[in-house]
Amino acid sequence: MSNQKKRNFQIEAFKHRVVVDPKYAEKTWSILEHAIHEIYNHNASGLSFEELYRNAYNMVLHKFGEKLYSGLVATMTAHLKEISKSIEAAQGDLFLEELNRKWNDHNKALQMIRDILMYMDRTYIPNTHKTPVHELGLNLWRDNVIHSSKIQSRLLSMLLELVHRERTGEVIDRGLMRNIIKMLMDLGSSVYQEDFEKPFLEVSAEFYMGESQKFIECCDCGDYLKKAELRLNEEIERVTHYLDVKSEVKITNVVEKEMIANHMMRLVHMENSGLVNMLLDDKYEDLGRMYNLFRRVPNGLSTIRDVMTSHLREIGKQLVTDAEKLKDPVEFVQRLLDEKDKYDSIISQAFSNDKTFQNALNSSFEYFINLNNRSPEFISLFVDDKLRKGLKGVSEEDVEIILDKVMMLFRYLQEKDVFEKYYKQHLAKRLLSGKTVSDDAERSLIVKLKTECGYQFTSKLEGMFTDMKTSQDTMQGFYASHPELTDGPTLVVQVLTTGSWPTQPSITCNLPAEMSALCEKFRSYYLGTHTGRRLSWQTNMGTADIKATFGKGQKHELNVSTYQMCVLMLFNNADRLSYKEVEQATGIPASDLKRCLQSMACVKGKNVLRKEPMSKDIGEDDAFFVNDKFTSKFYKVKIGTVVAQKESEPEKQETRQRVEEDRKPQIEAAIVRIMKSRRVLDHNNIIAEVTKQLQSRFLANPTEIKKRIESLIERDFLERDNNDRKLYRTMNYVEEGLVSKSKRSSQLLVSKTEEDGSIKILFVEHKRFNDLCRSARLVTPLMIPSATLPSFGFDPTFTWPQKLLISKPRLPRKLVAFVTSF
Amino acid sequence: MGIQNAIVKFNVGGRIFQTTATTLANAGRDSFFGALFDDNWDLQQPINGREFFIDRNPDCFAVLLDLLRTGDLYIPFNVPERLLYKEAMFYGLIGHVRSAKRGPFDGNRLKLSKSVTGRAPGDGTAIRAGPDGGCCVAHGSMVHVFDWMLEEHPPLNLDYQRVNDIGWLNAESVLISACERLGRGDGGMGLFSSYTGDLRYKFNVVHDNQIKSYTAGALCFSPDYKIFASCKGRSNEYGIGVWDQFTGKQIDFFYETPGWSLGEADKLQWLNGTTCLLVATLFPRKDNCYISLLDFRQKSTVWSWSDIGAPLTVDEKRVRDAIAMEDCNSVCVVNEYEDLGFIDLRVSGGSVRWSSRSRLMKGKMPDEPCYPKLALHNGQLFSSMNDSISVFCGPDWVLTSRLRRSYGGSICDFSIGGDRLFALHSEDNVFDSWETPPTPVI
Repeated sequence: MSNQKKRNFQIEAFKHRVVVDPKYAEKTWSILEHAIHEIYNHNASGLSFEELYRNAYNMVLHKFGEKLYSGLVATMTAHLKEISKSIEAAQGDLFLEELNRKWNDHNKALQMIRDILMYMDRTYIPNTHKTPVHELGLNLWRDNVIHSSKIQSRLLSMLLELVHRERTGEVIDRGLMRNIIKMLMDLGSSVYQEDFEKPFLEVSAEFYMGESQKFIECCDCGDYLKKAELRLNEEIERVTHYLDVKSEVKITNVVEKEMIANHMMRLVHMENSGLVNMLLDDKYEDLGRMYNLFRRVPNGLSTIRDVMTSHLREIGKQLVTDAEKLKDPVEFVQRLLDEKDKYDSIISQAFSNDKTFQNALNSSFEYFINLNNRSPEFISLFVDDKLRKGLKGVSEEDVEIILDKVMMLFRYLQEKDVFEKYYKQHLAKRLLSGKTVSDDAERSLIVKLKTECGYQFTSKLEGMFTDMKTSQDTMQGFYASHPELTDGPTLVVQVLTTGSWPTQPSITCNLPAEMSALCEKFRSYYLGTHTGRRLSWQTNMGTADIKATFGKGQKHELNVSTYQMCVLMLFNNADRLSYKEVEQATGIPASDLKRCLQSMACVKGKNVLRKEPMSKDIGEDDAFFVNDKFTSKFYKVKIGTVVAQKESEPEKQETRQRVEEDRKPQIEAAIVRIMKSRRVLDHNNIIAEVTKQLQSRFLANPTEIKKRIESLIERDFLERDNNDRKLYRTMNYVEEGLVSKSKRSSQLLVSKTEEDGSIKILFVEHKRFNDLCRSARLVTPLMIPSATLPSFGFDPTFTWPQKLLISKPRLPRKLVAFVTSF
Repeated sequence: MGIQNAIVKFNVGGRIFQTTATTLANAGRDSFFGALFDDNWDLQQPINGREFFIDRNPDCFAVLLDLLRTGDLYIPFNVPERLLYKEAMFYGLIGHVRSAKRGPFDGNRLKLSKSVTGRAPGDGTAIRAGPDGGCCVAHGSMVHVFDWMLEEHPPLNLDYQRVNDIGWLNAESVLISACERLGRGDGGMGLFSSYTGDLRYKFNVVHDNQIKSYTAGALCFSPDYKIFASCKGRSNEYGIGVWDQFTGKQIDFFYETPGWSLGEADKLQWLNGTTCLLVATLFPRKDNCYISLLDFRQKSTVWSWSDIGAPLTVDEKRVRDAIAMEDCNSVCVVNEYEDLGFIDLRVSGGSVRWSSRSRLMKGKMPDEPCYPKLALHNGQLFSSMNDSISVFCGPDWVLTSRLRRSYGGSICDFSIGGDRLFALHSEDNVFDSWETPPTPVI
């Protein structure tokens, strides 16, 4: 057949290109058309590629490109219409298979047609901006097959049916499914989206809406989440098997919305299995699943977070306000730490260390710890307890861990200065009684506090350590210079710097004669080596070891307080002493004396004294004897003083008052700093800024700030604006130079006008002022009339004229304007 | 293909050729031979020992077969070049021929391959190399298009208005920016088919929802399919217009601020690294030079330089062209004596660091000078001056080559693309094509 065609062709004598047979195009096209038919009919083996290629080439060359192209469109369309009919005729499940088979046929045919028409594809089509052959083939397939009315809806419903069957557990032919979907994608993303994806998503939404409704009625929260996760994974897997990767986000969005977002509240608050129950029962797995699923939907995490926060605050509130639980401060803090540990591990194990959850946890702790104003005291007590005994036998790393945890609680405190007060007291007790377990642990905690709150916070605490060290050296020096003191009682003195230690004003009691002689010796030694100092004895803080022999000759070493020692020593000279006599002889304040007698006469096993009448409390008329029958299985007996570990109510009041008192200058300093830089500020802003500045130490009370402002106005530092009474302005004219001296006499407030016009306020140590004048050229001589102050200038020997700072009189008005004393 | 090593016998126009399927596979799938050897087609005939008949010129077939065998193109005297190209088109081997004709572009190995004389009456405005080795040349109101064989296609014009700039959007489309004609809506910017010369799209500028006529100046394209052009409107609509390459719709307009020039820019350059547009308005279009870097996402000028207020030195160094070199974080500029200068892109408001090197030029200026132009290609810097083009290489931009041809006068524009350098001369309407010869045999 092909031979015959070839012969026909040669007869046309087409080598004479100049002469074109009028029917040339018709004839050539009919050859090509025939070939296209044969290709579609799987009968291509008889075709000669070379001949067909040459014919197509010649048609284009002889300007019959248009005819060739339109012929191609018509022929292919006709074939596709036929194909469409045969697909329509396929019954039931065979439909998809037939479609797939025809699609493969068409693709192969298209490739061959393109081969023949390659020259047209390369030259004619780009020049005329027509659709290339391959794309044309796809478009025609789309229009004539996929979009044919009898196929389009049938195809869609079959595809959706298959997906549904797979969702309900049936096994489907995924390969066929993948081929069909691939065909839709090959036809262009819009075909895939319009003819499959969009309806697919709609049907899926409907399916999951129904299913989630069913699940939520009959499952508990944990089970529901498991099912939702399973469904989500199934859909993701479906996408990898036979859908477009771009569909993954869309279908997961549908599942997320229907299964999670729409039921979020109900899930979280589900009775007996909701979020709160999961938190209570430490269900890490369920919590983790909830986190991962909720993370996918808008507001999901914030829902979890809100519920967790309110639950945590509720629990925390109970912890810190339950009177029962406040009895033991150590337990109290331990419970807080346990709670923190619990939630830390929930966040790390289930919530993938989400920062926002950590923040929520922190803010909740901050909220409820500060609900109880005794928290600073309790935390300090906890540390005290740990450093007294709790850290024995614990490795260094564990010590660090405990201290770090305490620091974490400390960070939540708003009233850090209260903590500092208590900490100082407790540290003093520990140091003086030598009860500190580990010096390293103490120092490490100080370092932590320092990094947290700055040098100022810990400088006094560090001073306490220094005192302890110097005292040791002093004692060595004392005994070295008094070699005769090897016999008789031994005196150990700890010299404490006033200011660094929390001092309780106390009356020195009458020491036994032996002791007071020794004390006098020490005093003269100490004052001899240090000039300009005053030494006063704090007998209420000391301890003593005394040896005692009782009636039957039993010997014991008693470890007692200085007060107790004074009392016991009285019995060396008397058998019976009344309360009044003891009080008179020792001069110990009544409350302390009662406590110390109580501890020696009423505590079982420690009762070295006997009392008449026998009762628990000490009366004014009681009489005391040495208890000759005192026995103890230990040689050394420690007689503690009955002391309330926690502060008593009046003590608490006192501490609080002292804290309040200390805050005043700090608030004033903050107001001064702010006003120096702002010059004019309204009330609310001052309050806000002061609060912000002092945040690291305590939460300033607005009424207190207001009082301070008024006090500053009284002292002529601030004034109210005449028009707007809410506005304050600084009286100090902060143009240049010196400004004022702060109440704490060691500091000067100096303002400096920078080159760019901004004003810098510095707190300068008094003695550094001269250096500053030299280095920074702070003061312009012009501003201070030299006639009035002849000694003023940049002279390095210049000293600050005290009078000028403290008083206003005798100065010209202009100068008063920059220098205000307060 | 189960016949990879089989010997194939061809009868081409009466001459017998024998080769292997492996050799023919070098032609690629998108060629006559690729389709012929596809499993879809029945290849019984050649395997049977009978030759496979092709009704083509045997001499050309021999040349092309050698091309497939060796990768080199050797055209004997008896084969006309045009015929060979025709034959290559038939077999789908034209791409092979083109790439075998020249080696990869290297500014230091360029050879003059051809000079083409045009018939335009006026001075040349611009020449632009196309992506596949063709070029287009603007003379007055006409643009002549040449394919890579330097055969001329139908010329382009936009309402016969004076052309300001041209650019290849891709191998099939050329963009023309032209002056407007008052009141007629002529001029502006148009997209043309490079094959047929048909106008395919005309771009509009819209201000306040009204279509305005405008004069389009310098052109530039970005890889995210945008077209940038400097625009001068009828009223104060001066600035840079932005269009989408697919829809042709205007998507943005960056208005110039008073005291600065954008709408009359001589040069636009898209910077891929910073995704900013360099806009340069240069002397003598304006009395001063303005170079700025625009960020269209924030509608802000992120960097700028101008010689306003700079003292005029005795030798009067005015910037005549500028090009951003992102790798060196600088903008390279050139003055009329072909001194290169550099401005740091990292600091705004820096000054030009001139590298004085060609003082000899002074006093030798031809009667009709052309302003120097700059181009950057693969780390090589090109600068045209009078009748020659200098090539600079290395971190210090050392002069390494100079391209010169004896006639044609000064070079008024040049362009690099498609492995070729095209230089347009101001006299005689001549343009030269320079290309790198194929890689040596050994």
